[in-house]
Amino acid sequence: MKTFVCIKYVPDTSEAEVKVNPDGVSVDSSRFSFDINEADNYAVEESVLIKEDKGGEITVVSIGPKQSDVMIRMALAKGCDQAVRVEDDRIASHDPLMMAKVLSGAVKGQEFDLILVGCMASDDWHMSTGVAMAEELGINHASMVKKVELLDGKVRAHRELEGGLMEVVELELPAVLTIQTGINEPRYAPIRGIRQAQKKELKVVSLDDIEVDAASVGPDASGVILEQLYIPEVESAAEFIEGEPDEKAEKLASILVKGGLV
Amino acid sequence: MSTESQTFTEKYDLLGCIQCGRCTGGCPVTVRADLNVRRFVNDAYDEEKLDELARLADIWDCTACHTCAVRCPKGLKPLEVLIGLRSLIVESGKVEPTVRDALQSVLLEGNPWEKSRAARLDWMEGLDVPIADPEVPVENLFFVCCTIAYDPRVQSIAKNIIKILNKAGVDYAFLDESESCCGSEVFTLGEEGLFEMLVEDNTEYLNEYQAKRIVALSPHCFTTYKAHYPDLKSEVIHYTQFLDELLAEGKVTWKGDLQKKIVFHDPCYLGKQSGVYDEPRRLLKGIPGVELLEFERRRERSLCCEGGGGKMWVESESKKERLAETRIKDAKELGADIVAVACPFCVLTLEDAMKGLGYEEEMRVAEIMELLGEFVEA
Repeated sequence: MKTFVCIKYVPDTSEAEVKVNPDGVSVDSSRFSFDINEADNYAVEESVLIKEDKGGEITVVSIGPKQSDVMIRMALAKGCDQAVRVEDDRIASHDPLMMAKVLSGAVKGQEFDLILVGCMASDDWHMSTGVAMAEELGINHASMVKKVELLDGKVRAHRELEGGLMEVVELELPAVLTIQTGINEPRYAPIRGIRQAQKKELKVVSLDDIEVDAASVGPDASGVILEQLYIPEVESAAEFIEGEPDEKAEKLASILVKGGLV
Repeated sequence: MSTESQTFTEKYDLLGCIQCGRCTGGCPVTVRADLNVRRFVNDAYDEEKLDELARLADIWDCTACHTCAVRCPKGLKPLEVLIGLRSLIVESGKVEPTVRDALQSVLLEGNPWEKSRAARLDWMEGLDVPIADPEVPVENLFFVCCTIAYDPRVQSIAKNIIKILNKAGVDYAFLDESESCCGSEVFTLGEEGLFEMLVEDNTEYLNEYQAKRIVALSPHCFTTYKAHYPDLKSEVIHYTQFLDELLAEGKVTWKGDLQKKIVFHDPCYLGKQSGVYDEPRRLLKGIPGVELLEFERRRERSLCCEGGGGKMWVESESKKERLAETRIKDAKELGADIVAVACPFCVLTLEDAMKGLGYEEEMRVAEIMELLGEFVEA
């Protein structure tokens, strides 16, 4: 079983106050601590559990700065075999489709059975990188996966849906699974393991190295334009719309139109 | 510190044990858990059994209070056998998520509380605090402790001492946000590799400062530096020892009085492990009006509050009365108005027990620095 697992280095914004920089489109991250994205941590664990059960090889793929190497080394200490880190400031990193193109570029041309990705990233919450990767690579995918069963040439994925429903789907391999938190209990990476993992290969590559055209993943190619970031104002006003469903819908539509939202 | 080539038996001197039972006879945890440290010391001799022993939940019941070590006639440390077994689990990575997150936070942010390193000095806001400079010699270099730096409940320990230091005109400085965890709980949780790294890094870091001595605010840091950092150049003392000196030199001026009965709870890391018993008592007696009471179980027999040994991150399976609750009940029976402690963990465990028992109206748990903050002129 050859697996790729994609991980992202994200800030923990739960403790520090979030402040928008004067440029209006970036956040002051000087007081944040950074770590592996929570859902990606579960994806790493799932890849290691699969390897422990079925054997095989795991490659970690990440887009990020040098500081994220510690996160990658932890994944290697847990049982992943090698890693590729893409570092290139020409990537429009606020756009998950561009990120998916880059990650796919790092994977393309190599044999694999599975790609595991966290179902969402705790910095921008797009929930779309993994699915976009499957589209980019032209392979199957299942999102929000809470249980993985490997069959002969297939994977049975249990998808957690709205309202507590669990959908079970079978996909032909290779496939992308976006992993929901809670699927397992991620293990700890002891320091001695991290030190031993220094021997494993961590390749740092640019867009040129993975043959991804910088123009195709840059700000000009992106359909997402980051215009302004702001802290949502705390308001307590709420209007409850009364009436029959069609009346409610009409009133709601008119509010949205008046507010210039549609 | 052990070398890799040592066997488990050699590392913990298991053959030195005479199975006399002094350890189990004093272990405070046995009243609420099945932990039998003597059995572990006996069984760990069989190297093939180690993995099986390490999987027993009992090994996480130990609070590292050191009663067994204090009582051992052979000078062994039975608790460290349990820590050694914990390390086998840590090396496999299969630890409780709370333990995993605490250890990882020490590696990434230098504290076990999953707080940002950048926020380590936030508690200093509004205070006039000299920050240490490696180029400038300093008499007293203060080491704050992760819990005191980040937990608002116990930050007053550091805030109050600064007011007293400034008033007394003492030559002192605090470390900047590069101060990292001493590793006390990392050691007892069994993360040997991380602890070795901390000892190496902190020794190098602290030796850069020309400090005559390091004053630790927590007994956990104090004892860890004394017991596990052989290459530290500076002498390490606890803040109660430091303030006891100021008191003797007449540099502490009292204001008001406290007409209360106070009982002092000896923190395991300050008392049993480092032999500091009299200084905190002298400080409390110094407060005008105070009547100092004593627990029946005091000094080296003091009852553990269960805050050490990594227990802040490992919940006991036992539903029996917590030792902290027993302690608070004992204090109530003595008629104490205040249970005074000199350790941030003891504050948290004993206060929690006091609230759980519903004694909030009639009793108070206070760190000595909190009381001094109220009754020393600053």
